[in-house]
Amino acid sequence: MPDASDPQAVTRYLEQSHDKIFESNRAWVAAKKNADPEFFTKLAAGQSPDYLYIGCADSRVPANEIMGLDAGEVFVHRNIANVVPTIDLSSMSVINYAVRHLQVKHIVVCGHYNCGGVKAALTPTDLGILNPWLRNIRDVYRLHEKELDAITDEKARFNRLVELNVVESCRSVIKTAVVQQSYEENKFPIVHGWVFNLEDGLLRDLKIDFEGMLNDIKKIYNLTSS
Amino acid sequence: MMATPVTASTVSPVHANPVTSPDALTTLLKRNKAWAARTALQNPGLFPDLADGQEPEILWIGCSDSRCPETTLLDLQPGDVFVHRNIANVLHPSDLNSTAVIEYAIRHLHVKHVVVCGHTNCGGVAAAMGNQSLGILDPWLLPLRELREAHQDKLDSIPPNKAALKLVELNVLAGVKTLKRTNVVSEGMRKGLKVYGLVYDVGSGILQELVTSRSDEVIKRQFTSESFKSEL
Repeated sequence: MPDASDPQAVTRYLEQSHDKIFESNRAWVAAKKNADPEFFTKLAAGQSPDYLYIGCADSRVPANEIMGLDAGEVFVHRNIANVVPTIDLSSMSVINYAVRHLQVKHIVVCGHYNCGGVKAALTPTDLGILNPWLRNIRDVYRLHEKELDAITDEKARFNRLVELNVVESCRSVIKTAVVQQSYEENKFPIVHGWVFNLEDGLLRDLKIDFEGMLNDIKKIYNLTSS
Repeated sequence: MMATPVTASTVSPVHANPVTSPDALTTLLKRNKAWAARTALQNPGLFPDLADGQEPEILWIGCSDSRCPETTLLDLQPGDVFVHRNIANVLHPSDLNSTAVIEYAIRHLHVKHVVVCGHTNCGGVAAAMGNQSLGILDPWLLPLRELREAHQDKLDSIPPNKAALKLVELNVLAGVKTLKRTNVVSEGMRKGLKVYGLVYDVGSGILQELVTSRSDEVIKRQFTSESFKSEL
């Protein structure tokens, strides 16, 4: 990015980076067609992804790349800090569509260490319109206050909150009627919690006990009978 | 050579039966390991850079559809694109989910470009073209049905597939309009932020720009020149 004091250079730079969006798209299309001339024809026929991925909007965690999946293989919702608030119409619509209309087999909630959203929620700062969204993460802290307060190392506590935030999002996913009903009927989708490590590019499975969590949740949130 | 039958199922080659396969998730984790190793080899500086922080220049607001993976179709790298994807890339003015993403991307990450991208064959748009009740999806798709109502005469006068594409375009333009009305975007635009509406063709992989403040000649050169078409 050129110096802001040179408006013409800035304009030129923006035009070039705008052009790059389309140029690189064109290069990708050419490479894909070269490898498989039918690639796009098959995609035009429809989608039947096996996975729904709910992850962070962070640019460093691109869903398809980190899972080694191609176009057509994973349905994706990304927001600030992979939060799934139970009254959020956007994420609830994504889950509903993925389970009911696409019959995905797995739902992955993926967080990442060094998450800016989680960090912001640990900071005593007024962030305007971000406050209500980040408050969900502060609620995760409150739910696990004892465990988190017992961690003296600041970085370790931050990392643990990232993990617990993933676990709570998994819980929110399991609270939905569509997931409970589909699992009872079809034995899918199965919900998984992961964390991505920016330092080495590796995914870590938090190995949440899906069946156990589902049974616990159903004591209060059971929505299986219609 | 036998032609591969074109069905939706041929698109998903990861597992023959992901439900009965106990390795379904292990396979993804293995693929991740392979990707991490390959990426570290090809670009040894990438992960150390990523660990330092992100400075993406693009905010991508697109559809959750599996056929529209933004970083992949833009041929870009981790760290390049901040991403929000929801059903049918709808921007509701009162949706806190997208609002938080836009606020964070512009005010805290200072992205230079905001892209609203719709796509052909959008399931959400197809649903909004119909009159079936879809439970919780109804309120989410309401802006699409409102657009359909407002442009009913035009949409009725063209074939159904063209009408669906038209609604895709109208939805992108409405999203751009909604964005430009927000304080954070209009402030950003005064400092040089650019906002674009795009449509991605899942049948060809090509991105097209819908609206732009740039000269017609530049757009023409980029997207409609004969050389561009023949190359693909």
